Amino acid sequence: MLAKYLFIILCLIPGLGIILALIGFVTYIVIMQSIGLNNLFGEDEFTIKFWDKIFARKSYNRSVRYSLYIGTFSTIFSILIAYPIALWLRKPFRGSLFISSILKAPLLVHGLVAAFLFLNVIEYHGLVNQLLQYLNFTDQPIRMRNDRNAFGVLFLQTWKNMPFALLLLAGALQSISDDTLDAARDLGASLYRRFIDIIIPLTISAMTAAAIIIFIGAFADFTFQKIAGPRNTFSLSQLMVEYRGRGKWNEAATVGVTLIVLSFFGAVLVAFIINKLFKYPGWLSPVKMKNIKSIITRQK
Amino acid sequence: MIAKSLHRILFISMIIIGVIWIVVPFIMAILWSLVDPAEPWTVDLVTPPVMSFYRWTYMWESSNLKDALFNSYLLAPTVSIITLIFSIPTAYVFGRYNFVGKEIAKLLCLLPLVTPYFVLSVFLTATIISFGLSEYRVAAIVLAHAVMFLPYAIRIMTVGFEQVSQEHIDAARDLSATTFSRWRVAYFPALRPAFFASILIVFIQSIEEFAVAFILGSPTFVTIPTLLFSTMGQDFVRPNAAVLSLILVVPNVVLMLFLEKLLRTANPAMISGKGLK
Repeated sequence: MLAKYLFIILCLIPGLGIILALIGFVTYIVIMQSIGLNNLFGEDEFTIKFWDKIFARKSYNRSVRYSLYIGTFSTIFSILIAYPIALWLRKPFRGSLFISSILKAPLLVHGLVAAFLFLNVIEYHGLVNQLLQYLNFTDQPIRMRNDRNAFGVLFLQTWKNMPFALLLLAGALQSISDDTLDAARDLGASLYRRFIDIIIPLTISAMTAAAIIIFIGAFADFTFQKIAGPRNTFSLSQLMVEYRGRGKWNEAATVGVTLIVLSFFGAVLVAFIINKLFKYPGWLSPVKMKNIKSIITRQK
Repeated sequence: MIAKSLHRILFISMIIIGVIWIVVPFIMAILWSLVDPAEPWTVDLVTPPVMSFYRWTYMWESSNLKDALFNSYLLAPTVSIITLIFSIPTAYVFGRYNFVGKEIAKLLCLLPLVTPYFVLSVFLTATIISFGLSEYRVAAIVLAHAVMFLPYAIRIMTVGFEQVSQEHIDAARDLSATTFSRWRVAYFPALRPAFFASILIVFIQSIEEFAVAFILGSPTFVTIPTLLFSTMGQDFVRPNAAVLSLILVVPNVVLMLFLEKLLRTANPAMISGKGLK
């Protein structure tokens, strides 16, 4: 038995061991540098002055709000668009594979290439401006790049992440057996009830996995923001790289800790909200937990 | 009847959206990569007035494209092989053993997927500087890539190990096969699709990776994504960026299609243990 566990531990070291060592070590360095320890230059001294300084900065607070805004709305848009399409494509029909392939194609496109393609469409000399001028809606090209509300970034995030959500949700929806849905229909469940009480609860895991990965990716975005985002606001990743570029490693570390902590709590919150909203019987379900409990008590 | 009409409307809408979604932007990219500098593509023209491969030859001869291609296509296979080697023992115990804490261990393997890549890159750089290992940046990039993409390799190899037929292993053992022979006849044939899938996925991820190569590698170590990023900054020359975009995306699409074909044609007989010759 001991030999077996020793063997298992030895086998885990090259894979899991390396992951834990590197991620753990980097996390340790970020946390330490944010409180003045493990400094690259100068003396080590425990202090919270970097946190005081960063909390007082408007740019930091703006970046936190901005990154949360991008993370949250990218997740919502990606899932909201992907879910009905996945539902529609659940049962194969003529041409469904083609549509599915086209919609999932952005998965193969690098984020930077996606940003470039997007610029091609919205730049001064982009397709949209050409069309607007051709239709005489405007004489001059309209500036659409780096818009203040970051609609461009949200569009790019959705463009890149929706196919990922579609991939996970389509798999989960296709695995729901027709027998389950037929049984519910035979028992008098309406279309709404079948959707809310059966389909959605059976796809919660896929939805949660997709939402968490999309949220963290969009929340910690750098490239889309740098290329298409507003000029007057930085994302947290951008702010961290900016501080690092100026040699302010401790300030960069405080932003790094913020990214890690908010990514973690954001992911937990996303999972909690999805679970609360959609598990059976969720907030949207006409059936309430107390009704189920009373039925069980009556049966007893 | 209404459902049928709705289905048809949705189908046509999806085709139109799909074309706008992916086909039009790529046609634009191809056209921009062919714009000849002698005759600029002005707003009033639907297509470039003169098309040539000038930008392609210019990028090949005058930019860091050669270095970027060399670095990217040297880095990716190296990372793929290292990641595969690291993943095999862990995937083996995940796929073939039951032990306390297995699910937690599997979950912990996903840590790199939920760690913001820029935090990892910036503070790995800090660590390298603090240890005075700045000249080993390329090795650090390889290590960081390997760790970042280990979850994919471990997952794929775990499924591969789970699908190795116990009947084949037992049969080989009953015929007095040595450990090496058992691996050769029972494990390797069933694991081959997982090997290729793992190598390809990590290869594609590594070619595309930007954060680590940008933070750890710049300015001396250039890859295709970091070169593309630099052309999209303040000196945005669209035809040059179009050339780099196509160079980055086309091989990956071909590799992905190859991967899908590979996974579809994975030998079901070997995996299920039925019909083995």
